Amino acid sequence: MPEPTQLSLLQPGQRATIMHIGGAIALRRRFIEMGIVIGETILVERHAPMGDPMEYFIKGYHLALRKEEAAHIQVKLHGDING
Amino acid sequence: MTTRTLFRLDYGSKLEHEINNIVAAFKEKNFDTQHYPQRWLAIKLLESDADIVEHVQAMPNGSQIIAVARQSTDKIKSTLGDEVDMLTADHRYGYINGVVRQALNRPSIDRITLTDRIDDIVTHKWLGLPFFFTIMYIMFRLVIDVSSPFLEWTDSVINGPIAHFFSYLLDLTQMPAWVHSLIINGIVAGVGGVLVFVPGLLILYFFLALLEDSGYMSRAAFVMDRFMRVVGLHGKSFIPMILGFGCAVPAVYATRTIASRRDRILTALLVPLMSCSARLPVYVVFGMAFFGAQAGTVIWAMYALGIVIAMLSGMLFTRTLLKPDSSSAFVLELPPYRQPALKSVLIHMWENTREFVRKAGTVILAASVVMWLLLNLPWGVGNQRDSYFGKVSGAIAPVFAPLGFGNWETGGALVTGFIAKEIVVSTMSQVYLSGEELQTKEPTTFSQELIGIGHGFVQAAINSGKILISIVPGINLVDKEKETENTLLSIALRNHFTPLSAVSMLVFVLLYVPCIATLGAIKHEFGASWAITSAIYQTAVAWIAAFIIYQGGRLLGFG
Repeated sequence: MPEPTQLSLLQPGQRATIMHIGGAIALRRRFIEMGIVIGETILVERHAPMGDPMEYFIKGYHLALRKEEAAHIQVKLHGDING
Repeated sequence: MTTRTLFRLDYGSKLEHEINNIVAAFKEKNFDTQHYPQRWLAIKLLESDADIVEHVQAMPNGSQIIAVARQSTDKIKSTLGDEVDMLTADHRYGYINGVVRQALNRPSIDRITLTDRIDDIVTHKWLGLPFFFTIMYIMFRLVIDVSSPFLEWTDSVINGPIAHFFSYLLDLTQMPAWVHSLIINGIVAGVGGVLVFVPGLLILYFFLALLEDSGYMSRAAFVMDRFMRVVGLHGKSFIPMILGFGCAVPAVYATRTIASRRDRILTALLVPLMSCSARLPVYVVFGMAFFGAQAGTVIWAMYALGIVIAMLSGMLFTRTLLKPDSSSAFVLELPPYRQPALKSVLIHMWENTREFVRKAGTVILAASVVMWLLLNLPWGVGNQRDSYFGKVSGAIAPVFAPLGFGNWETGGALVTGFIAKEIVVSTMSQVYLSGEELQTKEPTTFSQELIGIGHGFVQAAINSGKILISIVPGINLVDKEKETENTLLSIALRNHFTPLSAVSMLVFVLLYVPCIATLGAIKHEFGASWAITSAIYQTAVAWIAAFIIYQGGRLLGFG
């Protein structure tokens, strides 16, 4: 299994499991409200036209995060599953 | 009470222990939880929910309970090493996941939905931005061009049948001449001048509600976020900024959807720089008087200048008064696309327009009366130059001299523009054309006028439909006669302005102090100091920009 990495570093099509959530309290609360919790699977969908923010798929819905914020989320990349 | 056991989520032994502790404290400290269920209140206190803590503080013995709860919260934090609301959220999600897993068989996650296919285009790397700008372009063509026949119709109804009707009533009740003048020249003309924007706003808000309800708005925020960040804003700030092209008042209120206060304030400060629909009549009148076929270009340049100044202002504020803070995170759901429900679109459209009409009914009404008084006092004043209005305008006119329009008429028009920017035009036509009867009244009957209203509406609908079709590239059903106009007002303007000072004037009108209703909205949302900041900042920027254009233009040999 690969080492834990930042969610912001993943490429579209990659899937990962959330391991740890960092950042300021307000931001962590916001993440939790939106269903970003430890153990959840998250799929990277696409970059916005100017590269940032990025669109993710989690808990059956689409969520946009800036890379700056996604960097606070530590994930473990799934094996060689593409798409 | 029924014997049915109520659902109760188990938060784990440590949390449960503290919850029970707080519930026990309610009894011990003789605390009446009133209408709140005990367990629920205990959980909220344990989570340090700000609103609930505030409520409980105000209840008898509340502060003792809060002290108990705070102890429990700290205990959890030190033993479990995490915030209580994080832990409770974890337990709730855990439970939800369990239920969902048992009850729902999710189709494979990789299934491509219609939403995915639409998003492949509208948020595409290369196509996303062109798509967004096309949508915006269509919206503006709809708002400005398609509504214009209805705008003319509304104008003719207010200044025709409605003014005649009041005139008739006043004659019938034998009111003195000054009452007649106050109502017809003051109130009907003032409020009517604002209500003519209603058709355009209805179309704008209809379109915006359509974008919002279909789900495209959050894609627009997604696509534009990177761009907005350069200016120090949030992707969501885009929606209030777009609304600002209609009217800044609902746009300021629309900032409520933005999570961080800092982002809300910055957005509200930039919104009035978007050229609102009230400024359009000023551009049109000057454009037709000075630039003929080029009027459209001049008008577009004004919109573009507003956007550029807003961007520069955003960068300036981000580096000075409003430094970015950590609360302005971009965490946004992109909901599935839905077919907008007509009813909800109409409700949105109506509520936003009502806000504008209410403004016309209160602020503008009061302002129109004050304006009329200033123009007609001291009592029996013959020449407007000698009225209080003329004196005030004369006193401030020298301030505008370096901008190319230091005469008292323009100064006065700009002062009245503080009430609402479109009033600049009506004041100018009042002061330049005073004494000239604008139109000779032909005696008409009530039924004739009713038929006229209906006929005019049908005609407006036909013209509007033609323009609508003409938006499709290559089709043109409308013969645009964009020659320089020769109305009385145009001639009067050409006597007082050069093309260069006209441009300088338009830039000043675009940028100077937001109208009183907008400042009222900013004060309502963020307090008086931000409203004052906005007023001073924009007036300063307007003066500097107009100064650069006029003096720079003269150096280059224009005007």
